[in-house]
Amino acid sequence: MPSNQTKLASLFAQAQAQIQLPSSGSATMNSTSSSPVAAEPPAPSLGIINYTSGASTNNLSPEEIKKRSMQFAPISHQSHRYIPHHPKGQPLSDPVEEEPPLFFLLTTYISYLILIIFGHVRDFFGKRFKKEKYFHLVQQNGYAPLTSDFDSFYVRRLKARLDDCFARPTIGVPGRYVTLLDRVTKDHCQTFSFTGTTTDCLNLSSYNYLGFAQSEGQCADAAEEVIRRYGTSSCSPRSVAGTTDLHIETEDLVARFVGKEAAMMFSMGYATNAAAFPSLVSKGCLIISDELNHASIRFGARLSGAVIKTFKHNDMTDFERLLREEISQGQPRTHRPWKKILVVVEGLFSMEGTMCNLPVLVALKKKYKYYLFVDEAHSIGAIGPNGRGVCDYFGIDPGEVDILMGTLTKSFGATGGYLAADKAIIDALKLANIGYVYAEPMSPPVLGQIEAALRTIIGEIVPGEGEERLQRLSFNARYLRLGLKRLGFITYGHDDSPIIPLMLYAPAKMPAFSREMLKRKIAVVVVSYPATPLLTARVRFCVSASLNKDDLDTILRACDEIGDLLMLKFSSGTGMEHGEKPRWKVEDVIRKGVMDAKRDVL
Amino acid sequence: MAFHDTLVYINSTVESISAQFIRIPGSAIVLRYVRSSYQNDPMRSFLELCLFLFAVRYFLASKYSFAKKDFIKLSTKEVDDLVHEWTPEPLVAPLDEVDQAEVDKIPVIIGISGPKVKLSTGKSVMNLASFNMLNLLGNEQIRERAIKTVRENGVGACGPSGFYGTQEVHIQTEKDISNFLRVPASIIYAQAFNTISSTIPAFAKRGDIIVADSAIGVAIQKGILISRSTIRWFQHNDMDDLERVLQQVHNDFKGQPLTRRFIVTEGLFENGGDIADLPKILELKYKYKYRLILDESCSIGVVGKTGRGLTEYYNIPATEVDMIVGSLATTMCAGGGFCAGSEYVVQHQRISGNGYVFSAALPGYLAATASEAMSIMQSSPEIFTQLLANTRAFRAIVDKMNYMYSPSDPDSPLIHLQLNPEVLESRKIDDEDKFLQDVVDECIANGVLISRNKVVPSQEVFPVESTLKIMITTGLTKRETEKAAAVVKAAVSKVMSKVPKIKH
Repeated sequence: MPSNQTKLASLFAQAQAQIQLPSSGSATMNSTSSSPVAAEPPAPSLGIINYTSGASTNNLSPEEIKKRSMQFAPISHQSHRYIPHHPKGQPLSDPVEEEPPLFFLLTTYISYLILIIFGHVRDFFGKRFKKEKYFHLVQQNGYAPLTSDFDSFYVRRLKARLDDCFARPTIGVPGRYVTLLDRVTKDHCQTFSFTGTTTDCLNLSSYNYLGFAQSEGQCADAAEEVIRRYGTSSCSPRSVAGTTDLHIETEDLVARFVGKEAAMMFSMGYATNAAAFPSLVSKGCLIISDELNHASIRFGARLSGAVIKTFKHNDMTDFERLLREEISQGQPRTHRPWKKILVVVEGLFSMEGTMCNLPVLVALKKKYKYYLFVDEAHSIGAIGPNGRGVCDYFGIDPGEVDILMGTLTKSFGATGGYLAADKAIIDALKLANIGYVYAEPMSPPVLGQIEAALRTIIGEIVPGEGEERLQRLSFNARYLRLGLKRLGFITYGHDDSPIIPLMLYAPAKMPAFSREMLKRKIAVVVVSYPATPLLTARVRFCVSASLNKDDLDTILRACDEIGDLLMLKFSSGTGMEHGEKPRWKVEDVIRKGVMDAKRDVL
Repeated sequence: MAFHDTLVYINSTVESISAQFIRIPGSAIVLRYVRSSYQNDPMRSFLELCLFLFAVRYFLASKYSFAKKDFIKLSTKEVDDLVHEWTPEPLVAPLDEVDQAEVDKIPVIIGISGPKVKLSTGKSVMNLASFNMLNLLGNEQIRERAIKTVRENGVGACGPSGFYGTQEVHIQTEKDISNFLRVPASIIYAQAFNTISSTIPAFAKRGDIIVADSAIGVAIQKGILISRSTIRWFQHNDMDDLERVLQQVHNDFKGQPLTRRFIVTEGLFENGGDIADLPKILELKYKYKYRLILDESCSIGVVGKTGRGLTEYYNIPATEVDMIVGSLATTMCAGGGFCAGSEYVVQHQRISGNGYVFSAALPGYLAATASEAMSIMQSSPEIFTQLLANTRAFRAIVDKMNYMYSPSDPDSPLIHLQLNPEVLESRKIDDEDKFLQDVVDECIANGVLISRNKVVPSQEVFPVESTLKIMITTGLTKRETEKAAAVVKAAVSKVMSKVPKIKH
């Protein structure tokens, strides 16, 4: 039970503190305890910020240790680590996407049909008999309705039924546990009122891959120091007077981390994409985009004025066919050659858990001379043996990719985004990018967080910790995915991906799954249309390094129960390796999980 | 006879098929039904046959044939050759020397961007180029609140608002904004610049009509572009022209289905420092039944007795404006933007505002910073009096300049300075931007940091006037502000003295 789990976790924390293996510290095999209690290492001065060691759990009270372990769990056993390794130069094999039994597809269709019919009937009568509730949907007083009933139909009639599963307000750090403010609704999710109590839930929902969402440790210390020295803002767009030495230093560090000459940063990840495309392509250019690219890419691409074509998700044959067609046909009607072609893919797709097929994209790039833009919003920090994104994972020189974009929200517990490229490109963008010239720059404390997180990953501060975080994330992702598959669930995505979508299909199973998980004190995210195709409603697990194996086992047990309850275990086993059959007993899954999660695919 | 044989063959085939058909259980009912319904009605049979053939044709037709009207069929070899021959333009054209110099001249501030800053060149200067107008940056109260929030919530929110990214501090700050502006509700976005480009397309769709001021900023332009609405422009701040456009739209769309109509303008214009005539706009809005989207990014926390923006300045309830969009990143020294309005306007954006739905939430400490800043604005309104005094002191000096004038409102602490038209005629100034950059450089050399109004011309719908952009701050005393004004004035004279006169 969850309360037991919490107790367990704190027990672990205390045990570890006693043997000098601090939770977020040098708890690795290579840094033996040569520097015990007193010898706090001097604050490394690597740049503007004076870093604390972060690992100073030595003289902490039990409450403090517990608080820290609520944000970042101590590792249960050193074997719970894994270093991902993809055979260099090999293209990525597509993950098996299992089809559910026809019966479930049919009932899903029927569910939506019922929802839609009910919705329309209610709208029809509501607009006539309950005018005060429908005032914003009907023309009145010479004003057109503010929102059309057709546009908002899905939201009003489908999403409104499960609004308690969305936007659950939280308090505190979204780390290993996220604290939810309990709320109740008396009018079917129209309004909510807070009960005044809170619930600590295991967090499978936040983008906290490396577990840097912490209010203690070197990152928060750096943020605090920066607030004291720089304040909270630099109060002017970057190109006017909003550039501080800290911005420059962090940009250099990001560039070094991703393996590019230069980088520029923006205060919002979404806006990074929104502003990037107008400065790169314009009328007469072509953007070739994966059909499942994020909304921000679509927004930016539309702003640019370029023609946009999409190819089937991760389908490299379809991609090459499109390329050949577009290059040979040229611009529509005039058949003039395209000025340039920009291919946009995501490193790790946030709703699918799939990675882009970078080796093939890079190989085709040589032949077809397009420019490659990789959005590493989810993959930077989360993918690759050194956490440096998809290039690192596939062993490809970052120089092969023209523009590496990423966000700092996800793995680094900060916010905002970056573009990294050759210095000449970045310099030109400093005059041409609207996000740089008009928008507010990144807030300095965020830079502090980013720097501390990056230097931890690189190993410049708190040696061993970055490594631990990366390896734990990889292990956790593989362990949970394998467990879910063996239990009989259908999951999407690649094995090394920390995003694990578990398919639900029927719309009614979304709120049911979310509420059942909440009962078991686990916070999850359910998504469906418009973020995914209508049929494939899913729950998306975002695995974090801040969880340990015991947490994952709690999650597996919860999923096992709910899977039986909601009839979700309909895997046929085609996605499993080594000829395994699905629908294992949960105890067997847990018993064999550690060994098998680290096993390579034959 | 072959014809006869064929008939016999057909007859026998039909007979054998019908014999087979009758053997299927239940076929008798189908047969009886078909017979009875088609009796004496060959027209109906014909019609249904046509429908059936159409359905077959429809399902067999190529799905995208309409999109490939001008598709040229090429052999593999030809495609290969075309691929081989094609040479793309460079992704980004490398900068020329002038542009590279501009990049290199972007000032870098060492440490905090307060009223007096140290630049990377080693020079200490007075900072008149930043939005820190109320000198709240580095304020002790705000700083402590920010640190406390970091210690409670960490730095990032690690997720979109819809997925556990909404923290208690966001809810509180939204309440604080609503109370500050005295409107029913508000919503926070993670970046001010992105706010209005999310708000507009959340409501305005294809077929709707937007009437916008021709001097609005890029963020608003992009929002309009994305919305795909029909756009009509009116002359900057020209109320007669606005009425003309509204009347014209009224005439043009008479008799057509009613669509949503919006007037979009800025409160305090970032590109000019002048103020929109809100009372007149409201009057027209009601007359022609439009909704008003007002971008107060530069006016919230700047204009009005206690910084509540344009509605306070004109003493109009903020609820009269349908949507007020503002920035928390200007004088509040936080980050992010907001949209305030009715409960419904806000609720709709929580699911349809692109920048809200698809982006991580604003870091909690920035929301807290904004709350704290608003509370300071409310508790010590004298900072606005001081700001006004500094503004007037600065204007008193620069308004006496020979070569430049200010299009800005006399009370606006955001001051633009523009070259007089007669100067442009009488002096040989080839490149206004270069002239202004020289003035900026001269000012920096004399200890005053100001900036040109920087724009990306290719991204603007209308050309933007070249101006100097100066932002007054209460962080400098009146005396220092006057001194800075004198420096600007002297710099303009000095740079102008090097410009040759045109001989007529």
